[in-house]
Order: sequence, then structure tokens, then C-alpha cells
Amino acid sequence: MTDFEEEVQKMTFEESIATLESLVKELENGGIDLDKSIEIYEKAVILRNHCRKILDDSERRIEKIMETADGLKTEDMRID
Amino acid sequence: MPEIISVTELNTRVRDIFSVTPAVNDIWVSGEISNLKKYTTGYYFTLKDASSEIRAVMFNSARARIDFEPRENMKVAVFGSIDLYVLRGSYQFKVATMRQSGIGDRYLAFEALKKKLQEEGLFEPSRKRVIPMYPKTIGVVTSQSGAVIHDIITTSESRYTANILLAPALVQGEGAADSIVAGIELLNKAKVDVIIVGRGGGSIEDLWPFNEEKVARAIYSSAAPVVSAVGHETDFTIADFVADLRAPTPTGAAALILRDKNEIRSQLSSLSQRLERAIDNTIRAHKHAFEVLDARLDPSNARNDLDMRRMHIDDLSKSMDYAFTNTVRTMRSRFDLLDSRLRPERAIEDIKDRREDVEDIMSAISSDLSLKMERYTMRLDAIGERPENRIQSILQDSEDTLESDSKQLEGLNPLNVLTRGYSMITGPDGTVITSVGGLNVGNNVTIRMRDGTASADITKKEMNQ
Repeated sequence: MTDFEEEVQKMTFEESIATLESLVKELENGGIDLDKSIEIYEKAVILRNHCRKILDDSERRIEKIMETADGLKTEDMRID
Repeated sequence: MPEIISVTELNTRVRDIFSVTPAVNDIWVSGEISNLKKYTTGYYFTLKDASSEIRAVMFNSARARIDFEPRENMKVAVFGSIDLYVLRGSYQFKVATMRQSGIGDRYLAFEALKKKLQEEGLFEPSRKRVIPMYPKTIGVVTSQSGAVIHDIITTSESRYTANILLAPALVQGEGAADSIVAGIELLNKAKVDVIIVGRGGGSIEDLWPFNEEKVARAIYSSAAPVVSAVGHETDFTIADFVADLRAPTPTGAAALILRDKNEIRSQLSSLSQRLERAIDNTIRAHKHAFEVLDARLDPSNARNDLDMRRMHIDDLSKSMDYAFTNTVRTMRSRFDLLDSRLRPERAIEDIKDRREDVEDIMSAISSDLSLKMERYTMRLDAIGERPENRIQSILQDSEDTLESDSKQLEGLNPLNVLTRGYSMITGPDGTVITSVGGLNVGNNVTIRMRDGTASADITKKEMNQ
């Protein structure tokens, strides 16, 4: 895993899609040498895949929170 | 057989009873306006007091008779009658006129608090926090048992995935405000990304906790942005004004906070397409640049290039020749013009021209003179006799004189004397000899007499003494 891939893993969806958008714009503007262009492209692909992964993961927690003597406590909530 | 009547008949009978019962006709009723709705035909509202309510209607004809705008929570006294709507079997108070009997206490409190918080800057648009586009966890302050949390969970299912953390709270009645404040604080401690504070619709009393100052201040001091979702579209609470975003309903709140997943997917795929197109274009551009360079290195292309340049030079050279010829031609014609002005023939012609001019002037003068002469002559004629006549008279005179002279001369003719017996001697030369002195002896003379001549020789001459 490259440094960039590790970096992306820690990114939120919002950060990822924003970064992807700016890389696409950079590439669209052109005037970049071939090596750099391909590097940008590779990064963009990593970000795109990361975004897709987040979107496909629909697992969520539905909980309720309470304050007890021991501090904050959360527990799963049943949905009717 | 008992009488069986239709529903319509029943409703009609009740209406008829109402209409003739003085106790419910042309009466004044006091109450508070709530649930006010304006339609093209007039106002529809609920008139209520602490424990009861009745539907009321005020048509435009009645509305025109009052000089104020009926408002929610307004305390009024209305005059009118009970009327039954046969179609629904419901009765309502038909307002003929209305008086304002004092602004509702709650309304006053609400307005006062709103004004106060507004002045403090709690509603300032500039202090509204941005709602995160992709929150990880949404906190919800509402009742654990109500429809609100259920609606939020259901609505968010098909949307961007976020965890939901509920802080159960009382949303109406005693202690509700404190409970809501605690919920907001609890969720801030749990570091949620955004908080929904809400409840379903209800009466103004039901919504009241959301009009309390402590709730407003808790929303204001929340670290996480707050979305209010209280009641329905038309009910605005103080909480709505302070919140960073107001959603009309809890379902609306979930929809506003979480983006539709399909929408995000299509955004992502459009980005992806743009990415592929951009890299394609980049590669193509580099490839093209390479091909251009490569082509220029090809010797056959170099020759082409050289030919092109040669043709260009030819073209330039042709243009230059043409331009030069043109210039020379122009200059020559100009020279010819100047030269012709300098030639002698031209000068003579000039002089001729001038002479003709002078002659013209002279003839003009001379014709002018003869004209003048003529005029003088005419003037002379006018003055005296014509010269011709004068000459003629002179001639006549001379003729007369000549005639008398001639007669006189006739008398003197020597030949005439001869007839009278005289002779005339002439010398050899023909001259008349009148003296002896003119004669010499031996001279031959001619003696002329009246009838002829005779010749004689002089033999002797003798002079008179």
C-alpha cells in the first residue's frame, strides 16, 4: 500500500470527494507533463474507489445515549 | 313502523333547529384565534378558550367590515351564529363581525422573547453554522416513543449512511424545556456532527417548550450545528429562529441533512468520467506533440519544408518585381509630364497663344474705335450738310464758269481771225511767227490763210522803225 493509499484510508467521504474533484480539475486544465498527469490520475482512481467503498457500506449504528452515574452510556435502539 | 330518514335529512333538520334557536344566533363569543388559514373565500380558524374550541369561518364580506388583520393567537370577540355544514354534519361559528379583545398572553410573551433574542444577535444569519454534507453521526433530541425518531430512521435509510444517536427527551408539558436542553448538551459531549431537535405538530401549547428561552440558548451554544424540526410548515418557534437550519418536519430534517445516495453516486460517476476523459486528452495531447516532433525529424519532411520555403521566397520575389515595375511606371509618367512643360515647341505655342490673345484684344479695340467713328460721323451729319451735296454745287458753279469762259475763248480763236482776212505765218517748227526778228532770209515759212496754206521763202526782211 502506497503512502497515498494509507492517507486516503483516513480521509472522510467529504475530504475524499473534494480532493478527487480538485484532481480532476487539475487534470482537465492540462499543461502538466505526462509523468505528473499519470500520477494525478492514479491518485484520483484511489480516491474514487475509496468514495465508492464508503457509499457501498450502508452499515450504520442506531443507538440512544444516556447519562448515568458512570458517565455517558450508549445502547442499541430497537426500531419498530 | 318508525320513520327512517337519510343522513342529509338529519343534518338538514339539525341545521333548521339551529337556525331558529335564539341561544345560538346573533350572539357574541370570546376566544383566541388559532390554526388560522386564509383562503380566497375568507378566513377559517379555530376559536378556543382554556378548555374548548370551535371551528369558525369569516367570509370576505364580514372581513371587509373590520379594520384589522386577524392573526394567530389573537384574542377576539366574534358576533355571529351557529351554522351547520350539511355535507359533513359539522357545525361551525359563522362570524358576521369581529372585535379585537386583547392580544393573547402567549403571543405577547413569544414576541417579547423573539425581540430580545433578535437584538442579542441569536438569529443573525452570519452566525449560522454550516451543516456538514456527509455527517458520520446525527444526534436527535426528541421523544423516544414518538413518530419523529421513527421517521428520521426511515427517511435516512436510502440516503448517505450516518449513525443515529438519540438523546431521549420530553417534548411537551412540564419539564420538557429542561429535558431538551439536557439532550442537546449530552449529544455535544458525544461529539455528534449535527443535531436534530424536533417533535411532531401540535397545538401552540404543545409546541411551547420550543419557544422557551433556555432551549433557544442551548441551541445557540451548541458546538454541533442544530437543525430544528418542530411542528408543521406554518408554525414557527423561537427554536426555529435560533437553529442553524429549519426543517418543516422531522422527515424534512433527515432529507436536508443527508444527501440522496443515488445523487452522490451519479456525482461520483460524472467525476469518474471527467477523470477518464481528462487523462485520455492528456495522453492524446502528448502523443500528438511527439508525432509533430517526430515528423519534423523525418528528412522527406525536411525537403518538403525546404520546398515550401523556396516557394515562399519565389512568391516574395514576384511581389517585389511587381512593386518595383509599378513604381518605375509611376515615376516615368510623372517625369514625362514635367518634361513636356520644358520643351521649346511648347514655348512657341505659348507665345502664339499669347499673340492671339493680343490680337483679339486689338481687334476688340479697333472694332470699338470704328464704332466710335461711326458715332462721330453720325453726329457730324446731324450737325451740318452732307459733304456730297456740297461738292456737287461746287461743280455746278465751275461748269457755269467754264461755259462762259469757253464762249469768250471762242471769240479769241486765231483761226476765226483768218476768216476775216488775216494770215498766220508759222516757222518750220510750226511755231507762229509774230515778229520779223524771228525770221531769217532763206527761211521757209508756211502761210496759213482762211482756205489753205502756202509755202514761201524769205528773200528780204525789214524791221519797222
